Amino acid sequence: MPDIIKFSGLTKRYGAACVLDDASLLLVGGRVHALMGENGAGKSTLIKMIAGVLRPDQMTARKNGQDLALRSQADAMAAGFRFIHQEMNIVPQLSVAENILLGLPTPTRWGGLVDWPEMARRAANALHQLGAPALNMRRAAGSLSPVERMLVKLAAAFVSHEGAQAPCLYVLDEPTAVLSQTEAEALFAVIARLKSQGAAILYVSHRLNEVMQICDDVTVLRNGRAVMTAPLANTSKDDIILAMTGRAVDDAFPPRPKPVVWDFGDDVICSAQYVATKSLSDLNFTLRAGEILGIGGLAAAGQTALLRLFLGLERPHKGMAKLMRTAVPQSPSAAWARGVAYIPQERRTEGLMMAMGTRPNAMLPHYKGIFARLRNERVQTADLTARLGITAAGPEQPVWQLSGGNQQKVIFARALAQPPRLLLLDDPTRGVDVGAKYEIYSLIRALSAKGCAVLLASSDLPELLGLSDRILVLQSGRQTGILKTDGLEPSDLLRAFYAAQPAAKSLISELI
Amino acid sequence: MIPVLRHLGTLIGLLVIMLFFAAQLPDTFLTPRNLINISQQIAMLAVVAFTMTVVMVMNDFDLSVGSTASLAGIVAAVLFAMGVPIWVGVGAALAAGILGGLINGALVAFLGILPFVATLGTLTIFSGLAFFISGGETIFGRDIPKPFAEFARSGVPLDGVGLEGAQLPYLTIVAIATLALVWVTLEHTVFGRKLYAIGGNTEAARLAGIDVARARLAAFAITGFGAAVAGLMYASRVASANPTQGAGLMLDAIAAVFLGMTMGKQGEPRVLATLVGVLILGILDNGLTQMQVDSYVREMLVGSIVIAAVAISSLGRRA
Amino acid sequence: MKNLILSMAALGISASAALAQNVAIITPFLAQPGTQAYVSAFEAEAKAKGWTVNVIDTAGDVAAVISRIEDSVTQKVDAIVINVDPAQVAAGLQTAADAKIPVIGMDAGADPLLVTNVTSNGYAMAAETSVYVANRIGGAGNVVMFVFDAFPPVQVRGAVADAVFANHPDITVLDRVTPDVQDGGIADSRAKMEAILAANPEPGSIKAVWAAWDQPALGALQAIEAAGRTGEGIVITGIDANPQAREAIAAGGNFEASMAQDFAGIGKATFAATADAIAGKTILSKVMYVPTVLITAGNAAQ
Repeated sequence: MPDIIKFSGLTKRYGAACVLDDASLLLVGGRVHALMGENGAGKSTLIKMIAGVLRPDQMTARKNGQDLALRSQADAMAAGFRFIHQEMNIVPQLSVAENILLGLPTPTRWGGLVDWPEMARRAANALHQLGAPALNMRRAAGSLSPVERMLVKLAAAFVSHEGAQAPCLYVLDEPTAVLSQTEAEALFAVIARLKSQGAAILYVSHRLNEVMQICDDVTVLRNGRAVMTAPLANTSKDDIILAMTGRAVDDAFPPRPKPVVWDFGDDVICSAQYVATKSLSDLNFTLRAGEILGIGGLAAAGQTALLRLFLGLERPHKGMAKLMRTAVPQSPSAAWARGVAYIPQERRTEGLMMAMGTRPNAMLPHYKGIFARLRNERVQTADLTARLGITAAGPEQPVWQLSGGNQQKVIFARALAQPPRLLLLDDPTRGVDVGAKYEIYSLIRALSAKGCAVLLASSDLPELLGLSDRILVLQSGRQTGILKTDGLEPSDLLRAFYAAQPAAKSLISELI
Repeated sequence: MIPVLRHLGTLIGLLVIMLFFAAQLPDTFLTPRNLINISQQIAMLAVVAFTMTVVMVMNDFDLSVGSTASLAGIVAAVLFAMGVPIWVGVGAALAAGILGGLINGALVAFLGILPFVATLGTLTIFSGLAFFISGGETIFGRDIPKPFAEFARSGVPLDGVGLEGAQLPYLTIVAIATLALVWVTLEHTVFGRKLYAIGGNTEAARLAGIDVARARLAAFAITGFGAAVAGLMYASRVASANPTQGAGLMLDAIAAVFLGMTMGKQGEPRVLATLVGVLILGILDNGLTQMQVDSYVREMLVGSIVIAAVAISSLGRRA
Repeated sequence: MKNLILSMAALGISASAALAQNVAIITPFLAQPGTQAYVSAFEAEAKAKGWTVNVIDTAGDVAAVISRIEDSVTQKVDAIVINVDPAQVAAGLQTAADAKIPVIGMDAGADPLLVTNVTSNGYAMAAETSVYVANRIGGAGNVVMFVFDAFPPVQVRGAVADAVFANHPDITVLDRVTPDVQDGGIADSRAKMEAILAANPEPGSIKAVWAAWDQPALGALQAIEAAGRTGEGIVITGIDANPQAREAIAAGGNFEASMAQDFAGIGKATFAATADAIAGKTILSKVMYVPTVLITAGNAAQ
């Protein structure tokens, strides 16, 4: 008899605004339930409420017919709920084993000293039961890759006090946002294992393909209401998109204008000839005005480093790397001054001043002269806010109060405040909902149509294929080829990522 | 109520303190002369705290301001003793402050040393240097030129505004001028905007094309300069220079900025809020002395007020 | 917070209700044992007469002394007693003078703006201990001096001792050490002395240690004991004769002599001078000396 966990009447108001409005959710053991919705639809609020972090205005929670009180995180823990959040809070200084057993009493020996072998054994056991690959238990968790961190957090959620209630519900909030395709597959295998052990899984994601692949049921939130709950077996992607946006989205990618190379007269914006840096090698390409060059590869294959070559943060020690016919800049400030704009991967840590408003965040690289011109900045910010469709209470509302999609648009506003010659994009739609994604794609297209050259690194294969004119493939920092995207299939691209890596080849045959 | 308490709690606290003293000391507290006295007494602390705000905007801070102030006083006094003109001694002292600030800035910006460690190190170095140059002696008496010592005892006569015989002390004027300069710099220049951005997220600011290292260098130079100005004010006020005399300024200055930060919308330092912090510390000293409260009780009270203000503001933030 | 304000209010009321004379004692040095002694003696005398005494310690901050003088003037006290170099607080003294409030120095220093300064004769004390050292070592040998020139009254002692030793051609000043006094002076003096002992390992290479106050003398004594060189007859003298020093002298070791200031006497004499000043009596002498006594093993226990 599988567990049946039912949440109903979920309601949360902030003043006049109703974030959640009588939503309900039915989770069944052994099934993966997707929770979808655009940013601001109420997903995070719902999760915080069932985690006991946020006090609901109204909520009934029942497990197998019995009422549950979820007044605190401890209550949720006791009920057998486990949460794996988007920002993975591992303790980087501690070992893998310590991170896995973090919430539990430390095993001891010899009258109080930490029993390291026992710890390693228990932690390894947890990973093993999840069907996850083994890790060195003594490694510092800070040195783990994103997927390994995720697995460590999953294992930490999985282990529990002996004799205590076994976890019955895992809530995964955007778990694949930081993972590459292959890594995500490893995570899916673990989810399948948890599922086979009878746990219910609530899977929050923006990625439709993923949801279609691994989930059994879906609930879609829109404006705080659950507008759709259905088994995925008889639901199409279009149904879900329609439910999420309230409108049908014809095409996930805006149409590509005809090749632009001639329109801009072969104006080379950046080029590399046999360039090598500390982490990159064999770079050979030219990028013309109006062209979008994708950068593809497995996770951490050097995509960020390649972007940063033109931001002045990677020093070429071999070959000739040029930006607009002169040497690449020496610092980010020099790069921005020469018309380079950069959208970093981590918008919280690398992109935004979270406590500041749209105005200072967007205007930052464009300050000129000695005295600040506030009125001018306000006018420009208002213009950008309108152009990009940023929803904020004003130019000074701190961006931490905005939704993920709006935060990302604020970073785009920074890049657009002065039309860039070269736009460097590092995973520009990570953690952004479908609607905002489309708007961001349109922006990128519009910029390139005006002659801006774009370097686009992305872990999202459809995005890479949908936007790029050509894709530069990196393997461990080495350029192994450039592919034209016309007629290219995702599987071709993946094959290129793995080409000439025999060990990986066998892995991919398993995954695809 | 809670948001009001959060942003204005410290200002309300200042008003409550002033009302309390005005009630307890009806004849002496709210008199022009006493207020002028207070303004003069807090002038040195104010200058250090205002310029300390500049680095604290970036989430950095400077522990070396006290010894920079002592060093500046000693540099000027030693040069005075050698018979150089006053402007040369003052100029050299200010240059020493800027240089000290640049050293702090370089350590933090280019070598990436944490400000706490870097300025703790220079605190000791500058203090040792002050002892070394002065031979550990207090320089006073005939070595200090009369006009230099007179500066701290004179001001602009206020007869014109109905305060016969009173004068607005030059020390107060220097503090007001510093306030104006720092306010314009932080709130109305591109440089100030960049400092707040660095404080908001250093890495993001760097990737967005801000020359973080250069901004840091400049900010620490300003703090060093402010410390030197305060050191000279102190030396003028006590008509002497002693290698340890600025030591008390650092903690009070940081406390004043922290008090002010409780008024920032997002807990950020603002120089006008720092002024409120300085006023609280200065008025407590003045009023409690007049009420003959034990000086040690005063210290405990000041510490408790700093903690209470920060606690109220962080509780408010959490709600 | 409410309670605090209430108790502050109570303090304020009791202060304003006080009668008789109202005097402020302002010092940056209340942590010093000597300062505590004469402040206590002053307070005891004042209490007997029903005066109100407000003791203000600025914890080392000299500019704050000026501020507190100004505050006391605002508050219209009857007299102010300071324990700090008057040259450094001249700004405050002028304020008091303008308000016609008498300021009396208690072991402060001479200044035209002070009614008078009550103190021990630092020149005489330093002369007495340095001459004691010179005589004990027969006018020849190496002497280590511990001085602190940053504090004028102690600087005076060093200067006198310099003159005495310079007057003995066979006495060589091996080192003139300024210890770090942040921890009270004993620990750092001991460390400095240990270094000097290590650098001069020959017995007899150090004949005496002259310290301008007791703490370095005690530190030097500890260093000599730790080095096992008590048998070399190194003569140590201090000044001030604080209880710890008296104990060491009474024990009959290397620490042979110190000067006892009559701190209580200074406090009492200052009180008397203050009372005279408030009463409007003319005080002619700008400095009033309170006698001092050489303390050796014979009278240390008294």
